Amino acid sequence: MKGAVDIAWWMLASGYLLMFIPLAIFRYYRSGLEKATVWAVIRMTVQLLLVGLYLEYIFKWDSPLINFTWVFVMTIVASYTVIKRTGLRLRMFFVPVLLSTLASIVLIDYYFLGFVIGLKNIFTARYFIPITGMLLGNSLKNVIIALDSFFRRIDDEQITYRWELANGATRSEALLPFMRFALKKAFNPLIATTAIMGLISLPGMMTGQILGGSDPMVAVKYQIMILVVIFSSTSLNVWLTIIFSERVAFDGFDNLRREIFSGHR
Amino acid sequence: MIEFENVSLNWDDRIIFRDLSFSVKPGEKVALVGESGSGKSTLLNLIPGFIPHFRGKIVVDGLILNATNVHAIRQKLAYVPQALQFTVFPTVKSLFFTPFSFVYNRKLKPDRKVVRMLFERFELSTDLLNRSVKEISGGQKQRILLAGALLLKRPVLLLDEPTSALNKEIKQAVADYILGLKDVTVIAATHDEYWMKKSDKILEIKNLHG
Repeated sequence: MKGAVDIAWWMLASGYLLMFIPLAIFRYYRSGLEKATVWAVIRMTVQLLLVGLYLEYIFKWDSPLINFTWVFVMTIVASYTVIKRTGLRLRMFFVPVLLSTLASIVLIDYYFLGFVIGLKNIFTARYFIPITGMLLGNSLKNVIIALDSFFRRIDDEQITYRWELANGATRSEALLPFMRFALKKAFNPLIATTAIMGLISLPGMMTGQILGGSDPMVAVKYQIMILVVIFSSTSLNVWLTIIFSERVAFDGFDNLRREIFSGHR
Repeated sequence: MIEFENVSLNWDDRIIFRDLSFSVKPGEKVALVGESGSGKSTLLNLIPGFIPHFRGKIVVDGLILNATNVHAIRQKLAYVPQALQFTVFPTVKSLFFTPFSFVYNRKLKPDRKVVRMLFERFELSTDLLNRSVKEISGGQKQRILLAGALLLKRPVLLLDEPTSALNKEIKQAVADYILGLKDVTVIAATHDEYWMKKSDKILEIKNLHG
């Protein structure tokens, strides 16, 4: 089998014509989304082209130190994005979110790349960078939903939280219903998409591998594993993020600090 | 014994309490009264340490309220807030039994007979336990929380408007039962005249300021 047909640069440019469909719809309904859409597509293009350039060199050098540094930078950007999107205070949450993200990808990467795939060097650029990128990208949305629903719900239902504390709960016991709520919010959509995988959607990684010339069954095996790995790393990341964040989010009396929300003065 | 000594509280540059001092004896039934917004609920929330940035001293059963003692103090209390929320609990059963799942309360988990007796006293059906929290009325939720608090067998009950969502007959039955409990200190923020009448002491917030 040979690799995917290359797309000529000018043909790539013609592909952008498809963006006129959403832009026309947004414009017709005066949704105000046009500018943000154009900006998002420009950012996506520039970022991916830069990544393409970087990856060419990173794959050529294939140095564990550079590869790990690259993944570390990706983790910093992911942690920053999570906190910004949840409206929590960056200064308070950056370290807990960064640590939990790093811990979850290190553990899961080590098991998946070192044991399941059986790589001698798990930092091999061809595997380490794209797999970790996929883990980060896919867990991002769930971590945002979990963290946001957890802390917002405690704030909205402060009476409930206080009722538990004042009736003998430890902080962990009082937070249990909120943890359950956040897990349901974050994982119900992931459970649903995992359950219909292959029926109404062909996942991106598998499609990419088939286009790249892989045997479909090899692509399917990788896809199955990657979905399991994403599920597992996302749950670990969500759990650790909430556990680590608890340490900064409550005062010595176990009350939720109002200043964790960036809008609070 | 609960003591407030020169307790002051500011919130967003607004003075809520200024040098508040009073004491409540063991077993005493106290009605906290005052206009809406006078700070009745805030005062109740000070005792379990929910508003720690006050000045002055609060002592519960010999323990000074601070970060070290707050858990020991909370273990002496049962607290029933105004029943507005609790939607994180899917069913009434999970709401009612949640306090009995805490390690400190595990031995107090009531059997079905005790629950049924207390529910009957508060004119509640145990069928409610299988309903969703969103389906039941404010008055039902209030009585369910009160029943749960009583089963915790704590020496101090803190109640925020315990009868506000109840009709007159049930109000009186609930007040008679709770205010008739010997050896239990009850501090209730209330607008209910019958409750005030049956209490040992009425504290009007505006008269407590130094």
